[in-house]
Amino acid sequence: MNLLEVTQLTKRFGGLEALGEISFSVEPGEILGIIGPNGAGKTTLFNCITGFLPFDSGSINLDGHNIQGKRPHQIVNLGLTRTWQLLKPFFGMLVIEAMMVPSFSKRTRSNLVSKKDQQEKVAEILSEMGLGKILWQEVDNLSQGELRLLDISRALVTCPKILLLDEPFSGLSHKETENISRVIRNLNDQGLTVVIIEHRLRELMKLVQKVIVINFGQKIAEGLPEEIIQEPAVIEAYLGKRRPGIGMA
Amino acid sequence: MNLLKKIAPLTQNQSPFGLLILIAMAVYPLISDNIFHIEIIKLAAIYAIFAMSWDILTGYTHEVNFGFAFFIGGAGYLSGILSSHLPISLYLAIPVAAIAAGVSGIFIGYVTLRLKGPYFAMATLAFASILYKLSFILYEITGGEEGISGLDAFTDDPTQDFFVVWGAMVAIYFALCLYARSKHGIILKAIRADEDATQSAGINTAYYKIEAFAISGFMAGIGGGVFAHSQMHIGPTMLSGYLSVIVVLLAMIGGMGTIVGPLLGAICLSIVNESLRIVEEYRIIIYTGLLILLIYMAPDGLINLKFIKGSRLLSFIVMGDRKPR
Amino acid sequence: MEILIIGTVRGALYSLIAVGFVLIFSVGGILNLAHGTYYMLGAYLTYIFYTFVFAAGGINLLLISAILSVLSVGIIACLVYYILLRPHIESLLYVMVMTLALALFVGEVMSLLFGVSGTRVPSLIEGSISIGGIKVINQQLLLIPITAMILPALWYFLKKTKMGQGIDAVAQERTGATLMGVSVETATLITSGLSASLAALAGALIAPVSSVVPEMWLFPLIKAFAIAILGGIGSLVGSVIASFVIGYAEIVGSFLISEQLTEMVALAVIVLVLLFKPSGIMGYKLR
Repeated sequence: MNLLEVTQLTKRFGGLEALGEISFSVEPGEILGIIGPNGAGKTTLFNCITGFLPFDSGSINLDGHNIQGKRPHQIVNLGLTRTWQLLKPFFGMLVIEAMMVPSFSKRTRSNLVSKKDQQEKVAEILSEMGLGKILWQEVDNLSQGELRLLDISRALVTCPKILLLDEPFSGLSHKETENISRVIRNLNDQGLTVVIIEHRLRELMKLVQKVIVINFGQKIAEGLPEEIIQEPAVIEAYLGKRRPGIGMA
Repeated sequence: MNLLKKIAPLTQNQSPFGLLILIAMAVYPLISDNIFHIEIIKLAAIYAIFAMSWDILTGYTHEVNFGFAFFIGGAGYLSGILSSHLPISLYLAIPVAAIAAGVSGIFIGYVTLRLKGPYFAMATLAFASILYKLSFILYEITGGEEGISGLDAFTDDPTQDFFVVWGAMVAIYFALCLYARSKHGIILKAIRADEDATQSAGINTAYYKIEAFAISGFMAGIGGGVFAHSQMHIGPTMLSGYLSVIVVLLAMIGGMGTIVGPLLGAICLSIVNESLRIVEEYRIIIYTGLLILLIYMAPDGLINLKFIKGSRLLSFIVMGDRKPR
Repeated sequence: MEILIIGTVRGALYSLIAVGFVLIFSVGGILNLAHGTYYMLGAYLTYIFYTFVFAAGGINLLLISAILSVLSVGIIACLVYYILLRPHIESLLYVMVMTLALALFVGEVMSLLFGVSGTRVPSLIEGSISIGGIKVINQQLLLIPITAMILPALWYFLKKTKMGQGIDAVAQERTGATLMGVSVETATLITSGLSASLAALAGALIAPVSSVVPEMWLFPLIKAFAIAILGGIGSLVGSVIASFVIGYAEIVGSFLISEQLTEMVALAVIVLVLLFKPSGIMGYKLR
């Protein structure tokens, strides 16, 4: 059974259709990439799936459960966690405090009942992500790369079955990007299903097994990375039509 | 040994400075007979209760409660009315009134859930204004402008009275510190930083916001009830916008989001306020002017001043050990 | 009939106050809790100028006093913005607390200077006339034509003049305005003065027929807020409409129920609108 099933999802903002009957599914253990030009509707899609935005029609099923109308924290507790495109750090707190927040969720507390287990899990995740040394630092003092790693670490504390990452490589150096890719691959090997929205296509294509392309709220292509980058519709979405007589294009 | 272990969480990670203030306040009445001074410190302790209760909500979520007099005056009136008309002791009336305040906190918290920033602030101000107006409209029960006098006092002796109030303040201080360092406080701080991200961490933010509102209201209710019975009088000033703003100013000048800050702010400034009674005619003007000046110079509060935050020693003295339990 | 006239007068009064309140919030992001104080100062300063500067010397000097009062309040508001608010303008909490503390402070000063019982300000136009069999006080009627001139003039200023358009731009799209070279600070400064002057004008006009007491700043403020959220925080037209709605509602309420409860109308409006339709009747621009 598919872990995540999105069927005919439609979202309108007034007269504008941000998502038009989008359908796709994610199998357990997959790494799925979602790409598309700016404004295509990718983040809107994430917002609908994660309960931050109500949608107009269609359905979303997580592990067989219909999650329409559920509040964001409820969806997290069903096993679907996300990170955000714009960093959302917990300023005004210590790193360790920030990491403890998701450990207070129902899901984490039922998976790891004792406080000691929870704390061990937090420590484990942090060292995996390479953040072990900054445990007692103020979040306000971290670098961009560390903040992004922290965001992902926080997501992992909720013991998700499926993780939605919104532009995880944004603002990172090449080395940091490789680091995160490695971590994601490891997590995937351990059984975590991952869906990634990204613009940095080269890094993304090396990581994912399947790709969906969205433009103007519609799914315009789906398939393996090597196939997708050759699809005319996809190239057109990013680069525009080749028109004779106009300059060198 | 067992008892020591149980108390340990209370004393761990405490702010040395805060403890110092608490102890200093208790020591003075033991060595001095000056009733005038004791009354001043007693009033300061009551304002400290107000300021700390306010801080647990606004300091930790940054949603500004501008109608705090609702809980203070509301509970004060309720406790006064209950103990005057029914044969119950004030030691029962005050907690009952405080619980009523806490429950209204749940209600107000729920209805203002989706409001942010100015809308939230004005809604709280509106609720307090409604209660204020009601105290005049329902003058038969509330005594209108004159309020209700002749309320039961705690004891006959001013010094003993003081210690009752001091006891309440200390209990509330430790309770709030415990709450603030617990998962509840951490979650509130996370909500303050970014509510969306906190929801993404699987936390039901609505629940924790309402809970903080209720606790804030309950504690303020205790303060209101204690105030009413220590003055043996309750009047519309306890529901006024002026009181709400003073509480905000005291907590802000002390330093929001720390519990110790509001304690400090309330104590120091209340003592200043009462000391100004020698120029009673100009007292309110001088006091308010002073508060305005202080807020202008230190908008984050005295506790949060750069030179304290910058120094590890001062930071430790004021805030205690920051490691959570 | 009486309802119609009195209601219109009230609506006009409220619209002068509310429009300024909404304007400074849209342009400067300032929730000015001292707005009611500017209204109050309009009344008190008129009295002060007339009595102490001009020694109560006749209608012309009264008029000049009123004008001086309005101008002074405008200047005071600019100073308040420039000195007190600007340094920490990004914190809403600071702005609210500072303006409210100022409001309380000024209230206390007035209480000290003039006492708690009302201060009498003479009318610009004495007496009353009869409209459709109802006796109407002239001073009150004065509000209608003045407001009818001021509001369109304001609209013209915002939409047609260069300075006004700059201010309008800041209210609608701050970043865009900055990119176009409009100084947000200047716009906010001018708007502070303008908004306060409107409130002061209202205060000066209504002073002769209303109770001039040190607490007179609170309820106009609350009503201004009620009108703002009812009419939609970003919309000036909405505030004007809402001003009249609330004005009429209060009059109707005072006839049907009681005088006391009309004060609750504004409060009830705030609570109800905030709970059920936070974006107001005409919607608001997200800041």
